Amino acid sequence: MKVSHKDRITTPQAVIVLINYILAAGILTLPRTSVEKVKTPDVWLSVIIGGLIAIIAGVIMVKLSQQFPGKTIYQYSQVLLGKWLGGLLSLLIVGHFFTLAAYEVRALAEVTGFFLLEGTPIWAIIMPFMWVGLYLVFDGINPIARLFEIIFPITVVIFLLVTFMGFEIFEIDNVRPVLGLGLIPVLKGIKTTVLAFLGPEIMLLLTAFMQKPNKATKVILVGIAIPMIFYIITVIMVIGALSIDGVVLRTWPTLDLIRSFEIQGLIFERFESLLLVIWIMQIFSTFTITYYAASLGLSQIFKMKMNPFMYGLLFIIYVIALIPKNINDLFKFGDLIGNAALVLFGVLPLLLLLISKVKGGKT
Amino acid sequence: MKRRNFFWLLKCSLVLLLLLQLTGCWSSKEIEELGLVAGTALDLEKKADLSEEVEGHEERYPNRVMITITNQLITSQTTESGKKTGAPQQKSFKNVSETGDSILPVLRKMILKIDKRAFAQHSKVIVIGEDLTRTLNLQQILDFFLREQEMRLSGQILIAKNNAKKTLESQETSVIPAFHLFQITKSQERTTKILPPLSLAKVMGKLHSGSSFLVQTVVSEKGEVKFAGAAVIKGKTKKLLGFLNEKELEGIVWLTGKGKGGVVKSFDKATSQPIIYEIKSMKSKIQPRIVNNNISFDVKIESEGSIAEHWVPSGKPFENEFLKKAEKTTEKEVESLVKNVLVKTQQNYRVDVAGFGNRLRIEYPRVWEKVKQDWDHTFSKIPIKYNVNLTVKDYGTSGSN
Repeated sequence: MKVSHKDRITTPQAVIVLINYILAAGILTLPRTSVEKVKTPDVWLSVIIGGLIAIIAGVIMVKLSQQFPGKTIYQYSQVLLGKWLGGLLSLLIVGHFFTLAAYEVRALAEVTGFFLLEGTPIWAIIMPFMWVGLYLVFDGINPIARLFEIIFPITVVIFLLVTFMGFEIFEIDNVRPVLGLGLIPVLKGIKTTVLAFLGPEIMLLLTAFMQKPNKATKVILVGIAIPMIFYIITVIMVIGALSIDGVVLRTWPTLDLIRSFEIQGLIFERFESLLLVIWIMQIFSTFTITYYAASLGLSQIFKMKMNPFMYGLLFIIYVIALIPKNINDLFKFGDLIGNAALVLFGVLPLLLLLISKVKGGKT
Repeated sequence: MKRRNFFWLLKCSLVLLLLLQLTGCWSSKEIEELGLVAGTALDLEKKADLSEEVEGHEERYPNRVMITITNQLITSQTTESGKKTGAPQQKSFKNVSETGDSILPVLRKMILKIDKRAFAQHSKVIVIGEDLTRTLNLQQILDFFLREQEMRLSGQILIAKNNAKKTLESQETSVIPAFHLFQITKSQERTTKILPPLSLAKVMGKLHSGSSFLVQTVVSEKGEVKFAGAAVIKGKTKKLLGFLNEKELEGIVWLTGKGKGGVVKSFDKATSQPIIYEIKSMKSKIQPRIVNNNISFDVKIESEGSIAEHWVPSGKPFENEFLKKAEKTTEKEVESLVKNVLVKTQQNYRVDVAGFGNRLRIEYPRVWEKVKQDWDHTFSKIPIKYNVNLTVKDYGTSGSN
């Protein structure tokens, strides 16, 4: 089953899909999770290093995919590793995608249930969200990419507007000194920040959909650099306002930044709902792309049509999303997905690339 | 074909189900039924006769500190009564008090008294009584407020001398005292006697870092509420240690350079007449120095301003000589303000509340790691040099006396 022609996406669309995939639940907690490890205000340096590592991993995955033009990882892994081993690897990747989708859905339910829709039961938040997602993925990658093109500029504008309004409570002393205790603390935070850049793995299948697959490396560079800028602004603004001692105590520090100031004289005095709106859109985009990637994987592994898998996955994702018993379980669940992804997409693509080189690559 | 029909039906039913979403908000609350909390006051309850309040727990946990919480509510009734003309003037707010040994159970007890649902999204200030902060750890007092998602972190913290409840009262019927207090915290532009605003967002970092800090003090005297000095919270105990008066607070503002405006009154030596210097800008640089493991600080304070008023008969601002003289006397005054507060904090209270430790952390992070555990104690013995340099830029529209 080759990718049909109308399912091609342009290079900018690929960039936007990647950005929207990377930006997700993590941005609300990143300042805390990274400061917990780093313990100095140098977190933004960890973010930069984490981003660079993600770029390297992404480039490896792109190089691997470029060996097999027009084919996704689900198809060429069977070529490389044989039917059974390749199929198993594909299933693992599918598993990664739908557990990640479930995690995002649950994080969405927790935060909106807590801050926006107090009293609304969790299923009432999750279900419509998932149905709309289902509606979007029905028609393949192209509508997804076009929706992301609408979401992305809204995200950028609102995010920058809202975060920079926090300048009122920004204290430069809170983000100083730079490298006061040397480089060791910075290194301790890298694992956390790399996980914030979970997303380049989508290139394992997105490259196959690109009109110009040779531009895929560029997609990785731009697609990771932009979230990196988002993250740097976030950690600097949040730490600058709340100080590292304050950040480690907050469950959702980025949201707390917006809850910490009021601007009088504008039409709105408070902006946390605006931030939540773009955040929900980002979760939605991450959910749909992982959901699509998982359904596509299953259909390509079993060489069947996609629709039945979509309905099936909808149910599975819903059940998995309800597994974490409390918020700590949810955070642990997120860590688990991250750790698995480190092995799955940090180590394996490199091995596969080596194998393909040995085997002579293009077939 | 049959298969396709099935999916078509499924899709249709999903879309129909989505329609249900349009019926409205799941957990909406009508504004007429809300009591907006404008501010909260927390006091230590001294009366021992509260046995019924703690029934059940009394024997297991005796001698619990009792807290009286006062919520200032704005409801649809209080706002309506303000508008009606002719009708007897009613207050535009309603204070409700309850007592207990923790925060939320007490707040929930208020439900028994009021018909409105208390809604804290618009809470502007939390005023904590002097006695309560002396007896209880500030972290514990504020825990609920930092945890509750309905409380915005932009709310301000104030400490009341004597009674906190009284600061939320007012004889004027049109004023909402909590909003009134909140507005005053923002008026740093024109006086050096107010601390930079301390919101919940800022206080949690300070409490967790274990450093000592200042909180703006408010006092209610003869029915009038005013800001007066600052309360010193000791980092180790997180309790109230004592107060700084307005003069000492000015010294702190000069030391930190955080002031945005205000005046300094000094006296001309020869004639004993006042010269008033109005601050246009203020800057301070605290420079830590380490020589042979000994820490010391140099403080350099700079300011530009103008002569806003002077009563000196022979003073002629058109001549530079007089301006120099004005600068000198004002510098002396500022120096004495600074000296005054350094003596008070280093020798009496033995805490660092002017951010010296913060400067050391930035300039010498490794040294700071060693001394931060016992910083307040170390600080009390550290020599501090200071140097004030003021410039009079102009003297308004009048040159003569």
